[in-house]
Amino acid sequence: MRLSSDNKARTNTKLPALENKGKIRIALAGNPNSGKTSIFNALTGESQHVGNYPGVTVEKKVGKIERDGRFIEIIDLPGTYSLTAFSIEEIVTRDFVLREKPDIIIDIIDSTNLERNLYLCLQFQELGVPIVGALNMTDEAIRNGILIDEYQLGIILGIPFVKTIGSRGKGVDELLQAALNLADGVIEPSTRKLNYGLELESQISSLISVLRTDQEFVSRYPLHWMAIKLLENDTDAVDRIKRRHQNSQAVLDAAEKSRLWVSRHFGEDPEVVVSEQRYAYIHGACKEVVKIDSSSSRIDYTESIDRIILNKYLGLIIFLGIMFLIYHITFSVGNPISGMIDYFFSLVNDLITHSLSEGILRDFLTEAIISGVGGVLVFFPIVILLFLGLSFLEDTGYMARAAFVMDKFMHIFGLHGRSFIPMMISTGCAVPGVMSARTLVNPKDRVLTILVSPLMMCGAKTPVIAMLASAFFAHRAGIVFWSIWFLGWVVALIIAKIFRLTYYRGEASPFVMELPPYRVPTLRGVLTHVWEKSWTYVKKAGTFILAASIVIWFFLYFPRPQKQIDDYHRRVMSLKQTYEVQASHSKNSEERTRLRLDYQHQLTEMENKLATEKLRHSYGGRLGNFIEPVFKPCGFDWRMDIALIAGFAAKEVIISTMGIVYGIGTMHDDEIPDLHGTATLKEKLRNDPMYNARNVLALMIFILLYVPCIATLAVVKKELGKWKYPIFLAGYTLVIAWLMATLIYQFSAILPIGG
Amino acid sequence: MNLCDIKDGGHFMIIGLRARGEIRRRLVDMGIIRGACGTVLREALLKDPIELQLKGFKVSVRRSEARQILVEEIK
Repeated sequence: MRLSSDNKARTNTKLPALENKGKIRIALAGNPNSGKTSIFNALTGESQHVGNYPGVTVEKKVGKIERDGRFIEIIDLPGTYSLTAFSIEEIVTRDFVLREKPDIIIDIIDSTNLERNLYLCLQFQELGVPIVGALNMTDEAIRNGILIDEYQLGIILGIPFVKTIGSRGKGVDELLQAALNLADGVIEPSTRKLNYGLELESQISSLISVLRTDQEFVSRYPLHWMAIKLLENDTDAVDRIKRRHQNSQAVLDAAEKSRLWVSRHFGEDPEVVVSEQRYAYIHGACKEVVKIDSSSSRIDYTESIDRIILNKYLGLIIFLGIMFLIYHITFSVGNPISGMIDYFFSLVNDLITHSLSEGILRDFLTEAIISGVGGVLVFFPIVILLFLGLSFLEDTGYMARAAFVMDKFMHIFGLHGRSFIPMMISTGCAVPGVMSARTLVNPKDRVLTILVSPLMMCGAKTPVIAMLASAFFAHRAGIVFWSIWFLGWVVALIIAKIFRLTYYRGEASPFVMELPPYRVPTLRGVLTHVWEKSWTYVKKAGTFILAASIVIWFFLYFPRPQKQIDDYHRRVMSLKQTYEVQASHSKNSEERTRLRLDYQHQLTEMENKLATEKLRHSYGGRLGNFIEPVFKPCGFDWRMDIALIAGFAAKEVIISTMGIVYGIGTMHDDEIPDLHGTATLKEKLRNDPMYNARNVLALMIFILLYVPCIATLAVVKKELGKWKYPIFLAGYTLVIAWLMATLIYQFSAILPIGG
Repeated sequence: MNLCDIKDGGHFMIIGLRARGEIRRRLVDMGIIRGACGTVLREALLKDPIELQLKGFKVSVRRSEARQILVEEIK
């Protein structure tokens, strides 16, 4: 091994020419659902790196491989249907090809849908980069009786084609070899180009002659492509002309003239004519090379399945059933695992507590670092399980059907059919909910969905609200809880509608959505998706969650009431001395036990009192006091305010903070299910004259709606890329929560409710 | 007549697009252009969206979009 690598190094240093030739960059492109991911996996193996394209949140996957001693970088471009300037994915793809100029583009083509897939392929050809076409899913095409002569097709279009079956890795080696051959010049790159027909081509050439007037521009852009884009009145191309071309006005004038001529001549806008000509050219080519074998009796499985799954009435039932199943499995399997992770971290906490002496360092490690890391990882199993289910559905082709079934209902509220799934998942946990909004292609739909999903009742709000409901509404607790659960949906949908009618108003985004054929997902494909999503969650959102929990800890820990702490230590000492003296004088064991219990009880009481003092004294506690007037209209006092402030870290913390505020001890998160702890808290709250059914109802609604936990905010930032989104989300939810709580508190006075 | 006038199971040929902007761009890129033929497969529960079978693929469009696709019925 060593010898060979040494050899290689030597050859490289001796022959610089080889070194130049050594590195090849291949971009992988194709329509959505063309099997691009499986080809990418087959080509790159384990060596994948996931990042983002600069400035946008579109995922960029890069794989690095070595073949015959040369270094190959494979860049996965987003799946697109075309190369217009309308979607981020298309702009990213186009920019990448224009700016980074990959050596080769491999375009993955779904052989069962040849014409539409070639539409994209030929647009890449226009960009002037050598291209190899992978006729993927050949097996499926043969089953459907579609026989393609790839050699003949290659000659007609000037593109080498290789037949592949990505899911089984077949033909992938040959595909890579063809790409390398093209890069090395073993295969001569063809100069053939899509022909737009006499009339359009004459307009194109006259535009090219105007474009030629700027030499620098000529070296930067493929002119034929630029001329077509100008005919199409492509916003991005016009922009490039304005910025980059010396004679931009002359070019734009010429373009305008050509567009007018085309509209008049064809009776249709030039952009449509251009597309029609492309399709006509493709249709002509396919007619010659594709044979449809009509003799084989084929069953359209996809249509047979759709007849049931998209049945008007059955469709909804099946959809809700599948969603329930995924939701149920995720949380019933995930929650115990999360519990175990939580338990593990509490063990680590115990270990640190016992091995370090009391002090700020110990508190910092246990309360900030360990619970911060734990707070990141408790979501991990749920994120993994949920995306296991969702990726499976996505890869089978069901997700588009789900959107089809739900679209009308969601559209009433200005959302998209695909918005339903993120919202429903958010009723379990908003973190994976927000992440699953990635299936929404249109940015407006996606932002809107993400902004309203955290209003749902999630798994962390549930114990808090359930506790409050059972403490104050006795036998009506169930109905109160579910009403609040339902309120989450109602508010989210109404808010979505309001946003759509105000800030996100404007031209409707196209729905037009392909319903891909049903396919059996590969294990590898599903696992890859799951791993990417979960890992980016830990990496990107995790660091932020950890940092934020440290900040919140600091806020609720400092400054420390030193006088009370010293006082506490003094009293503990004297209590201990008294106890020891008494214990040594006691005669029987019964009395000793009584003394010990008494001593422990007093100790806990003092400890709890100190915890309350500490919290009150902290910045967070002071803030709670300070903002009391603000939340007076909701019926809250400063103690509730402190608990709500602590709830920024995670909603379940509200219970444990209330425990501290009420001096019943520092309950840890893992003690929440402990009936004794919550029972005492409930008792305390019920006996407190400050609490009544009115302000508790307001409190529950406030907890449901107010600022999402930091984990959610972190994921929103990660998913949407800009800080303004989590900041806006935090701001508007706070306002809505305040309004709703005030409304309920003020008006419930005249309503007959009570415990 | 437009695509909304075709009943479930009906065949059509596209004769023009009234849509503008992004919607037209998306339709055209998907191959929903003059001369293309297809079948209306079904509608969703609330009568919207509808599903179309075109050459080589299935696509769903909202009624609002379908209304902007001018067609001729093929018997």
